Amino acid sequence: MKRTLVNVILILTAFTIQNCVFPLIPVLVSTPNLLLILTFSFAFMDGRRMGMIYGLLAGILLDLFYSGPFGFYTLFYVYVGYGNGSCTKYFYEDFVTIPLVLSIVNELAYNLYVYVFRFLIRGRLDFMYYFRELMVPETIFTVVTTLFLYRLLLYINRKLRAYESGRDTTFV
Amino acid sequence: MESKYNRYILIAITVCCLLLIVVTTFTDQWLAPLRTAVGYLVTPIQSGVNRAGVLLYDGVADYSKLKTALRENAELRDQIAALTEENNRLTSEVFELDRLRELYDLDREYMQYEKTAARVIANDSGDWFQVFRVDKGSADGIREGNNVLAGGGLVGIVTDVGAHYATVRSIIDDSSRVSAMALQSGDTCIVGGDLTLYREGRLTLSNIQKDGDVKDGDRIVTSNISSSYLPGILIGYAKDITLDNNQLTSSGYLVPVAEFHNLREVLIITDVKETADPEVGS
Repeated sequence: MKRTLVNVILILTAFTIQNCVFPLIPVLVSTPNLLLILTFSFAFMDGRRMGMIYGLLAGILLDLFYSGPFGFYTLFYVYVGYGNGSCTKYFYEDFVTIPLVLSIVNELAYNLYVYVFRFLIRGRLDFMYYFRELMVPETIFTVVTTLFLYRLLLYINRKLRAYESGRDTTFV
Repeated sequence: MESKYNRYILIAITVCCLLLIVVTTFTDQWLAPLRTAVGYLVTPIQSGVNRAGVLLYDGVADYSKLKTALRENAELRDQIAALTEENNRLTSEVFELDRLRELYDLDREYMQYEKTAARVIANDSGDWFQVFRVDKGSADGIREGNNVLAGGGLVGIVTDVGAHYATVRSIIDDSSRVSAMALQSGDTCIVGGDLTLYREGRLTLSNIQKDGDVKDGDRIVTSNISSSYLPGILIGYAKDITLDNNQLTSSGYLVPVAEFHNLREVLIITDVKETADPEVGS
């Protein structure tokens, strides 16, 4: 329970940093998608069910924040939660390769999703431009950030698990 | 068993989302209370984090700005001299203008709209959309469809309002279309945002009639016939106008007067253009 609460607070923090702090730094060419990193990391650690819940939360936050069709982000983030939750059987601590691959796949999927349903649909056909100028920089930033952030999340996760199991044994 | 349930949940959420997407594509009025409620929770956090971020960044930036400021100071002194002289000349012209306006009964001049200043507290994450949020909302008299200005030019339009926040879609957003006209000739045109151009600081300028008289450097303002923008707000200057392949219209680029990459404060016009068609942003 406590772990879920901490994760929810982390998602809220990531959302705020992503929207309020990153835009203030003009030197950044692109910004990492923190919310996506958190969603898939938590899903990868906790499985499908929790992944969907975190995805739902992240998606609703984004949908409420921006006008446009409601549910657009929620739909995607729930699938991120579910899909990455399916990979939880490959979850070993301190094994960073899979999360890195996942971050690339998720990031590209996210950008393609936005491109196809918000741009291609309006006849913006210059895919290579968007790929080169938006998708690749954002993916690189996200992967590099995942490298650091994932370890931090793993550390927090481990601490909280230890705390929870310690408390459970006293109860049982 | 567990995985089966998960699949059902996933399908249920998918159906809900798809339904919501379809419904809200047509109308999202009923979502306003929900958005406002969440706004009460999130806006203060965003506002606080934003302020802290600005303070931190300004501290670092101040030193580097000092050097530039000293150099600029010298340049500006020269400019003041030139401007004072120009001002004298213009002042005398203002008197003349006043007289002429009275003559032509033009006192409903554009820049007399009610305005309110607001601070930008959050931007869209990622680079796909050019949408930002400000810290004033319906409680401050802001309504959906209000025009937003900064740096003397049009910046965007309010697309969504909560009690204490408003979401603004800027004119450089890929889906933005503004009905505009050339100030000198009165030829109408469309100013559109384009993601592939905004990094060069340009927007598209299209649908100018073939025999229209729009030249490089012409001032482009919002048009009288726009359904959602008040008339006569400066947007920018025309550039590289060429005849289209269809030989019927010309198009080119527009260099906006407002600076978009570092927006912090904006002015929101609280008058809404009165039209029969309430649609926003066309």
